[in-house]
Amino acid sequence: MKKLAFITCIATTIIMVSCNSSVKRHPNDAYIPDMGYSRAYETYADHSNLKEKGIKYNNMPVAGTVARGEDFPFPLAHDAVGDTTNYHLSKTVPNPYDSLSETDLVEAERLYLVHCGICHGKKLDGNGPLWKDGSGPYPAAPKNLITLNMPDGQMFYSITYGKGQMGSYASQLSRKHRWQIVTYIKEKQKAGK
Amino acid sequence: MTIYRSTTKTILFSALLLLSVAFSNKAVAQDGKALFNANCASCHKLDKDLTGPALMGVEERWGGSREKLIHWVKNSAAFLKTGDKHANELFNKWNKIPMPGYDGILSDADINAIFDYIAKGAAPAPTDNKAAEVKPVEKSNNNLLFGILTLILAIVAFVLINVNSNLKRLANEEQGLASSLPIPFWKNKTYITIIAVALFVTGGYLTTKGAIGLGRNTEYQPVQPIFYSHKVHAGVNQINCLYCHGGAEGGKHANIPSVNVCMNCHKAIHEYTGPALVDGNGKEVNGTEELQKLFKYAGFDPKNANNWNPNDAKPIEWVQIHSLPDHVYFNHSQHVVAGKVQCQTCHGEIDKMDEVKQVNDLSMGWCINCHRETKVQFKDNGFYSIYEKYHNELKSGKLDSTKGITVEKIGGTECQKCHY
Repeated sequence: MKKLAFITCIATTIIMVSCNSSVKRHPNDAYIPDMGYSRAYETYADHSNLKEKGIKYNNMPVAGTVARGEDFPFPLAHDAVGDTTNYHLSKTVPNPYDSLSETDLVEAERLYLVHCGICHGKKLDGNGPLWKDGSGPYPAAPKNLITLNMPDGQMFYSITYGKGQMGSYASQLSRKHRWQIVTYIKEKQKAGK
Repeated sequence: MTIYRSTTKTILFSALLLLSVAFSNKAVAQDGKALFNANCASCHKLDKDLTGPALMGVEERWGGSREKLIHWVKNSAAFLKTGDKHANELFNKWNKIPMPGYDGILSDADINAIFDYIAKGAAPAPTDNKAAEVKPVEKSNNNLLFGILTLILAIVAFVLINVNSNLKRLANEEQGLASSLPIPFWKNKTYITIIAVALFVTGGYLTTKGAIGLGRNTEYQPVQPIFYSHKVHAGVNQINCLYCHGGAEGGKHANIPSVNVCMNCHKAIHEYTGPALVDGNGKEVNGTEELQKLFKYAGFDPKNANNWNPNDAKPIEWVQIHSLPDHVYFNHSQHVVAGKVQCQTCHGEIDKMDEVKQVNDLSMGWCINCHRETKVQFKDNGFYSIYEKYHNELKSGKLDSTKGITVEKIGGTECQKCHY
């Protein structure tokens, strides 16, 4: 009798507790929250009111400085709407890399596949997964990078500021990476011809 | 004989001509599409403005003159100088972006084939009706049903126990045995014990669960400002995680992409046409409406796409899901670049989630367990080149290379690795 009673009450408890299965939309409480949340400003903290608090902070690099390991700045600014002067001038900007070492080439290929291959294709043929011969979600045909006849500097200009439907990749790729990808494309063009 | 020869010649010649005409017609019709896709499609679409205007009905707009159009395609700058009114209006309307010249790239026949293709209009794309028919999975909530069932069972058990004790009492009286007086159930020791044990077990379970759950958020799936589906982007469209979260290989944080990264593609993609989207509550989501939310943040007008200024964009305040307390240091690049750990190892199958939820509890035990079991990626990895002794022992066979070196062996479970 008593055994039976124990079993029923434990079963009831389990059923009661396991009845909790909806989508969890709110986080749990934190244990000692002053150690859980950073007192210092973290990356995605609200930086909007620093000035009001009297905190002097500039998140832009100091003008005229170059980060260690980074290439020198590109000399041309983005054209205003309706102007193509700098786009044409960019043909004359030389590529700082003549060729890439084997490890750099592997790295450039990896970066190409992450950032460019999605549209321009693994084989640089302008047929990536987003275009898929016109059946993908992207409405504009990406350029075939093997047959594209474009000087290095202009390619860099296009990656940096965007061209046509392509956006700017300056926030995703450093100048060094952009030049290396341009060099990678040029090497692939040589191999493809 | 000569007459015979000449007739055969004529017949042969005309047959050849016929054949060539028949074949060339077919070839031209196909070529038009191929040529359009190769040369025009990066700026023009038939039914939608892109970098250049939509080309459906272009010949009517140009007064039906193919000659003018061919001249324009071959060298638009020279054609503008002829002072053609429509061409100059177009040029000004489209921000004076010159159309590249195709002289020497496309022949007159090629350009004609392209305009034939445009005039015919693209064959309507096969619409995927199946996708639209997919109904959202309805999650039924059985909690109430289970509760009622439990209550009914409890009442039945209570009644049965009472009936049982009453019957026992009657049986005893029948046999002339002395029976104790009936005790009311709130004084009955059995019932008191049952309730006490039930309370103790439930309370203990909830207290322990609550205490362990403090600061842990497995299954946490908050509502985000925009219904962004990782399944559509990383799964169906195969966009690499690092395309948006490139910071994961550059530093501590795997950054949340800024609006300009979204607009890299969504400057051109204005509507969602894939399979139906369903949120965590089983409600259907309209992908195109969610895109409108993005355009609002970006300050982007799809009807005036070429005049978008990225500086108008305002940041989207996404809700953070995965969070480690401040007293533990975690660095993404250490794990992604040096450790060569896949994103999915910690974040679960993100590429199959419409709404992201936290899969692992991100507890210390979970971290330590992985550090004990995971082998260090020694091979071709400059980061670990200083562990010469281990490299030599692996080479000489003193250490079993199939077991390898775990993260623990190179100090991966030391307190100060993460707490300092």
